[in-house]
Amino acid sequence: MALTPLENPDGVFCTPSSDAIPNTSNSFLTGLIGYSCSYIPVELLSLTGFKPYRLIHGDITLSNVGENFVRVDACPLIKSNIGYVMQNRTNFTALIGSTGCDMARRMFEVLAEMTDIPAYVFNNPRTDNLQMFNNEIDQLIQYLNKFTGTTFSNELIKNEIEHWESAREKLRSLKKKRQATPSLVSTTTLHKAVINYYQGNIEQIKIDINEESSYKPRVFLIGSPVPYEASQILELIENRLRIVGDFNCGISRFLNIKIKEKTLDGIKEAYYNQPDCIFKRPNRKFYEWVNNQIKEVNCTGIIAWILDYCDNYDFELKRMEKTLHLPILKLKSDFSYQNFSQLKTRIDAFIEMLSHTRSSIL
Amino acid sequence: MNISRKRTLHKSLKPKKISLHEWSQQFRLIDDALIRKYKYYNNDEWGIYLSPPATFSVYGTRELKRLKLDNSFAALRMWGFVFNETERLFRARQIGKRVIATMGDLGTVPVLVMSFPDCVPFYPECIWWIPFFRESTELLDVASKLGTPEAACFSRAALAAFYKKAYFPKPDLIVASTGASCDDYSCIMQLVEDLGYEIFWVEIPYRRSLLPIFINKGEQRGIKIGAKVVNGEKENVTDDYDQTIHGYLYHKDMEHYLINEYKRIWQRMFKLTGVNNLHRLEETIKKTNHLRKLVYEIKRLTFEAKIAPLPALELMTIEFGNLYGYADFDEWFDIVEMMYQTVKQRIDKGVGILTEKAIPIAWITPTADPYLLNIVENFGCRVVETEYVINQALVEIEENIEPFRALARSFINASLIGSTGERVKRIKGKITEGRIKGVLITNMLGASHCAMETRLIERMLGNVPVLAIDVPAPFGITEQIKTRIEAFMETIR
Repeated sequence: MALTPLENPDGVFCTPSSDAIPNTSNSFLTGLIGYSCSYIPVELLSLTGFKPYRLIHGDITLSNVGENFVRVDACPLIKSNIGYVMQNRTNFTALIGSTGCDMARRMFEVLAEMTDIPAYVFNNPRTDNLQMFNNEIDQLIQYLNKFTGTTFSNELIKNEIEHWESAREKLRSLKKKRQATPSLVSTTTLHKAVINYYQGNIEQIKIDINEESSYKPRVFLIGSPVPYEASQILELIENRLRIVGDFNCGISRFLNIKIKEKTLDGIKEAYYNQPDCIFKRPNRKFYEWVNNQIKEVNCTGIIAWILDYCDNYDFELKRMEKTLHLPILKLKSDFSYQNFSQLKTRIDAFIEMLSHTRSSIL
Repeated sequence: MNISRKRTLHKSLKPKKISLHEWSQQFRLIDDALIRKYKYYNNDEWGIYLSPPATFSVYGTRELKRLKLDNSFAALRMWGFVFNETERLFRARQIGKRVIATMGDLGTVPVLVMSFPDCVPFYPECIWWIPFFRESTELLDVASKLGTPEAACFSRAALAAFYKKAYFPKPDLIVASTGASCDDYSCIMQLVEDLGYEIFWVEIPYRRSLLPIFINKGEQRGIKIGAKVVNGEKENVTDDYDQTIHGYLYHKDMEHYLINEYKRIWQRMFKLTGVNNLHRLEETIKKTNHLRKLVYEIKRLTFEAKIAPLPALELMTIEFGNLYGYADFDEWFDIVEMMYQTVKQRIDKGVGILTEKAIPIAWITPTADPYLLNIVENFGCRVVETEYVINQALVEIEENIEPFRALARSFINASLIGSTGERVKRIKGKITEGRIKGVLITNMLGASHCAMETRLIERMLGNVPVLAIDVPAPFGITEQIKTRIEAFMETIR
C-alpha cells in the first residue's frame, strides 16, 4: 500500500505503512509484548518468554507524535502510547490489546496498520459474561502458543503465577503502609515502585524504602490511567495531601488481582473477579467497591484524574459527585502540565474545603 | 378535481428539491381522500400523517425552512411519517402496544422485538437529529447538565430525552447493547440507567479479523506459526474462522457469543409478553429482508443512475429506516416501496434531482445535521456510496439457517465492531474503479471512533481527496465550513 510519508514533530519523516517500514531488527525475538489492560493476564504474556510491557505512557511529546496518526481529540494516553510504540517499534515483539475502551482497542489497529508489529485484540466483555471471558483467555493462549511456538504446561503456569504473585505481594506491603494511619508511604513512591512491575522487570522491584509518616489530609485517587511520566503531578498533589488509596491503572489497581489457585482456572477467576472497571455495564459494582475502599482507607476527599476525551470517566464525573459522598477535586489533563500554578491553587482550595468538611464531620 | 387527476398532475411534476413554501403550494394538488388513505397502525381516526412539511416546521422542526426536500409524493409521505414518530410511539402505548427501546446495536435487536405481537421497537439514539432539525441546543444542554461532556457524540441528546420524558413513552423494556462499539453511547446508556431506568444489557463482541494480519506478520518475521496448540494437535488457523455471506471474516466464537445474547433477549421478551413462537422470528426475518432488499435496490439504482434520482438527505432517511421502520414497520415498507417506484420511474424517464455533471463522492459516518447533505449537493456533489455506521442493518439476513444464528451472522457485518479497513473496503473498491472522486467524513468532536478512525481512513483511501468535517452544534454551520466544502469540490472537479 502506498501511503504518504508523515512528518513527525522533529521534522523527521517516518513512513507509516506496514510494508514501508523495513524489518531491520531481530530484537523482536527477545523483546517486549506491549499490552494495554488490567484484564489481560500478565502471567500468560510472560510465559511466552517475552517481557510484558504495559502501555501507559503519558507525555506531551509522545502525544504529539501520536497526533500524526489519530485526531487531536483522541485520548492523550492513547496518543502517547502510539507515539511511544512508533518510536520504539523494534523493541516490540507483539501487541496485545483489549476491547476495554474503544480508543484503546482501536489503538491496536492503528499500530498494526502503521508498523509491522503483530497485534491481537482480546475480547474483554463489558457485561457480566464469565463464559466469554474464559473462552477469550483460552483463545489468547492458543494464539500466544502459535505465535511463539510455545506450550504452557500446568507446571509452567504454576511457576509463573508464583513469580508474579510474589511481586504483587511485595508491592501490597507498600500499599498497606500507604493506607496506614499515619500513612507511611506516599503514592509518589509507590508509583515509582510499580513501574518495574508494569514494565516486566519484577526482579528489580524495590520495597526497602524510607518510610515517610504523613499527617496531611488523606485523599483517594480515582480516574484515568496514571502514566509512567506522572511523577510530577503526583508530587504536586502530595506536597499538600496524601493519596492513601487509588483505583487507577498505572498505580495500584492490579494489586487487587490475587490468584489463589495456581492454575489456569485460578488466573481466569482472579482476573475476571478483580474489582470492576468503570467501563463494565452496569458499573454499580465499581462504585460499591470504591465506596468501600474510601471507608477502609479513611480518607476525606477524592481526586478525580481525568484525561481529556477519556469517555469512561468524563461521562461519570457528575455521578461520582452524587455517589461517592465526599468532596471531589477534578483534575483534567492532556499531559502538557502547562497549568501547574493553577493546579497548585486548586489543590490549596481543595484542602481548605476538606478542612471545612472535616470540621463539619467532627 | 378527482383523486386520480390530482395525483397524475402531481406525478407529472419535474423532479426537483423544493422549499417548504413550494411544498405547501404543491400540497394543494393532493386530494383529501388521498391524504386520508395513508395512516400508521392502520388507524383511520388518528393515524393520518400526510401534511405539508410546513406543519412540522410550525411544530418546531425549524431547519425545514432551510432544507430543500424532494418534491415527489413518496417523499412527502416519507417525511410526514418520519416527523410523526414521537406521536406514533405515544399512540402505540395508547392502543396497548409495548414500546421497546433498543439501544446501541443499530439494526438487529428490533428484528427480535418485532417477532413478538404488538411490540414496537425504537432507537432513542436517533433523537440525535432532533437538535438539528429543531435548530435548538436544548436537548444537548440538558445532557450536559446530566453529566455528558461537551465534546461527545450528539447521540447524548437521547439521555436528555429520557430525562425529559417527552419524546417517547416510558419504554416497557430497554435493551442496551455495549461492548466493542463506541464508548460515547455506552456511557450515555449508563447514565440513562442512573436516571432510574432498568436496563437489560447485551454484549457486542469484537470482530477479530485482524488475526490473519497477526499471524502473517509473525510469519514474515520468521516466527514459527502453526506450532502445536494446547491440545497437542496442529491446527490450521483458518479452521477457527468463518466468513459472512458479505465477506466479513470472523472468529467462530463471536457467532456463539451473539447467539447467546439474542437468546437472552428472546427469553426476556417471552417473559414480557408470554409469547414464545420461533416461527414468528423466521417470518420477521423474511419481512426485514424484503425491506433490506428494497433499500439495497434503491441505493443501487440511485448510485448507478446517470442522473441522481433521489437527494442524499432522503436517501439517508431511507437507509436509517432499515433500523426499525420508524416504529411502524409495515407502513414504512409501503413508503419505501413507493420510493422505489419513484426512483425507477425517474430513471426510466432519464430525469433526476441533480445534474448529470454532479461529482460522485462517498460519505462516511452520518451527519447529525441534515443540512450538510443539502449543502454538499448544492455545491455540485452527488453521494454515490455511504458508510453510515449501520452496515449491519443493510445486509440481508440468511433465511436458510437457524434464525438466531442468522441474526448473529448478520450483525457480524456491523460497521463499528471490527477494523476500520473493513469499514471502508467497499468505498476503496469503488475508488479503484474510478466511481468515486472524493470522500467526505463527518465527525463529532470527542466521539471515540471518529477520533481514532479518521486519520486512518484518510490514509487507507490513498490518493482520493478526503474532506473531514466536524459537525458543529445545531445551527452552527458557518461560512468557513461551506468554504471548505467548496474548496474540496474544486479539488475533485
